Amino acid sequence: MATYNIKGGVGKTSTAVNLAYLAAREGRRTLLWDLDPQAAATYMFRVRPRVKGGGHALVSRKRPVQAALKATDFDNLDLLPADFSYRNMDLELDDTKKRTSRLGQLLDSVAAEYDMVFLDCPPSISLVSENVMHACDTLLVPLIPATLSLRTFDQLTRFVADSQGSRPEVVAFFSMADRRKRLHRDVIDGIARDRTRVANTVIPALSIIEQMAERRAPVPAFAPTSRAAQCYEQLWVEVRPR
Amino acid sequence: MISATQVLQAADDGPLKLESILKVLSAQFAAVPSSKQLVRRRRLDTFDRRLEAAGLMLEHQIVAAGERLVLGRSDGSGTMAVSVKDPRWPALVDLLPSGPVRDAIAPVIGVRALMVSSDERRRIQRVDLRNGEGKTVARVELDEPASVAASPAKLTVRRLRGYDEQARRADRLLVGLGLRAVEQGEDQLPGPAQQMPVTDRAVPATALLAVALSGFLATMRENLPGLLDDVDTEFLHDFRVAVRRTRATLKLGRPALPEAMRTRWEPAFKSLGDLTTPLRDLDVYQLDLPSMSHWLVTADPTDLDPLATHLGRRRAVARRELASSLRSTTFRRLVMQWAEELAWLQDQPEGGGRKALSAGRLADRSISRAHARVARGGALIGADSPAGDLHGLRKRCKELRYALEVFAPLIDHAARKRAVADLKGLQDVLGRFQDSEVQRHAMRGFAEEMMAEGTTAGAVLAMGELIGHLDVAQERARREFDAAFARFERPSSLQLMHKLGGAR
Repeated sequence: MATYNIKGGVGKTSTAVNLAYLAAREGRRTLLWDLDPQAAATYMFRVRPRVKGGGHALVSRKRPVQAALKATDFDNLDLLPADFSYRNMDLELDDTKKRTSRLGQLLDSVAAEYDMVFLDCPPSISLVSENVMHACDTLLVPLIPATLSLRTFDQLTRFVADSQGSRPEVVAFFSMADRRKRLHRDVIDGIARDRTRVANTVIPALSIIEQMAERRAPVPAFAPTSRAAQCYEQLWVEVRPR
Repeated sequence: MISATQVLQAADDGPLKLESILKVLSAQFAAVPSSKQLVRRRRLDTFDRRLEAAGLMLEHQIVAAGERLVLGRSDGSGTMAVSVKDPRWPALVDLLPSGPVRDAIAPVIGVRALMVSSDERRRIQRVDLRNGEGKTVARVELDEPASVAASPAKLTVRRLRGYDEQARRADRLLVGLGLRAVEQGEDQLPGPAQQMPVTDRAVPATALLAVALSGFLATMRENLPGLLDDVDTEFLHDFRVAVRRTRATLKLGRPALPEAMRTRWEPAFKSLGDLTTPLRDLDVYQLDLPSMSHWLVTADPTDLDPLATHLGRRRAVARRELASSLRSTTFRRLVMQWAEELAWLQDQPEGGGRKALSAGRLADRSISRAHARVARGGALIGADSPAGDLHGLRKRCKELRYALEVFAPLIDHAARKRAVADLKGLQDVLGRFQDSEVQRHAMRGFAEEMMAEGTTAGAVLAMGELIGHLDVAQERARREFDAAFARFERPSSLQLMHKLGGAR
């Protein structure tokens, strides 16, 4: 499952961190790969954002994926940390033979160890994104309820539809929503839910979600009864594999 | 993922002091203890310890916050957990919540039920060892008994993936406290005591037979409670195997055993075996039904639902009848007197048999005769031989197999293994032939019973398809017989038998 959007700052990392935690809490052996060189997910798990040999060593298979894995503080949840060199991952992937499926191949090498893998993607449309499309079964797209977000989402669904080979199921959901804003209400109520799968759960803009960076932990871990935790739990129930 | 690096105990198995543990660990880590938690730990495994044999450990842990099933490897690695709500044991795997724990144990335990093999109350305290970033890099778990009879306190250092060096450092610090490492397997549950097999060919044959027969009696006794409580179908299966082995051993031992074994005990165990047959047959049909439904071509698997219901009803009746017989005074007396008979047999210095026959001599003679009967019977099977002749040959094969098993301690291990493999090929073909024959007739009988009860046409048609499939399977097995028998009779197999005292 990949959390992805062309835009940045829409809640991809919060979603990946919280859903990965919930999957692990259910007993699923879970891995989260922080593909974003900004390393926000890695920071939230208090792990050093460093992979020995960098993205080059991973993509060129000079170092096995297993060697880079780190356990988080939570049972069943491991992290493949970000590294600043991931900013060049497009170039690294371009140098490989199967340039659009290499990330999937790397994940195959640890597939037997995990029941769920989450990919927290950087905001862009790039070769990394194409790899993510091929590697994941579900592309989870957080949308801020705004007109431009919907336009970007349309671009994304076209991109997925036009991509070669296996295509993931695209599931959108509204993130950072503020029901007090008329525009947010209108966009949420007005989205054509028949054109793609849109989750019923809406993740509100709540300060406790912002506190994740300060507390350096998933919301359900440090505020299990909060509204934000409940929303992520609902979202997980909607999108988790059966 | 988390795994254990080392399990430590106080050198005298006494209590462990948290203050000293924290003090020594604080030299290199921020050691953060959690509050103590009272945990009821129920270790789960099948009756025949399939999880333990596969290197797995399953626990039903009950704490104030809830209950969970925790599965890990016996070395403490690869732990996974799933929440459960008030599960009842014994339970079959289907009753566990779906997810990775069930997926991991289902292929290991198969049709066996999970039972509680130990039940302890412990006090658990976790200590997180953190680095400068506040990240937990290793864990230490203090596990203390909460009751007198429970096993001693222990300390487990849990390694977190990617932080091996930190766990090693914690290990070194704790060993410096004077703790000793617990050997792997030290905390495993003790298995049932087993009698030493007779390996001396010169001892009286009756000594070897008495040991073998006592072992089968022990198996019958061990499986009886699970059979009566209907814990899982394997209890009856294993009980029946022990009865069959007893019968075969009595037959093989005729030249050495007292006459009473033939006149009294052989018929007694035949009756006991026959008593268990109806329930076992119904168990087999029920267990096979899901795979049988894949045979259907035109019918829908749901068309077999009335058959499943019918089998369930018949099974309930058969189980009641068997349970009533096995709870009777007659059965209890039979078991008691048989145990006395075996004790008497073991006490006879010269074996108590009609002739002073050595175990080695009886082994050679039994294997030789059993092999000759298979060879003779197989050679007589022709294209027109009735099904009964193949069934008779199957019984002879079983006798040879039992002879190779009963006398296993006296014969060459490698040769026996290869001989059994050759024999298995023939047994497999004969087994498939006979099973198809029996199941076809049984299916017809069930159909008639169900029609009398007004079952659906769909059910009868679906059962017709099953009978058709069984016809084809029986034909296939019949065609494979000649090749299987030729393999059994090939020179290399005969040489093996010769080595084992069989072929002449």
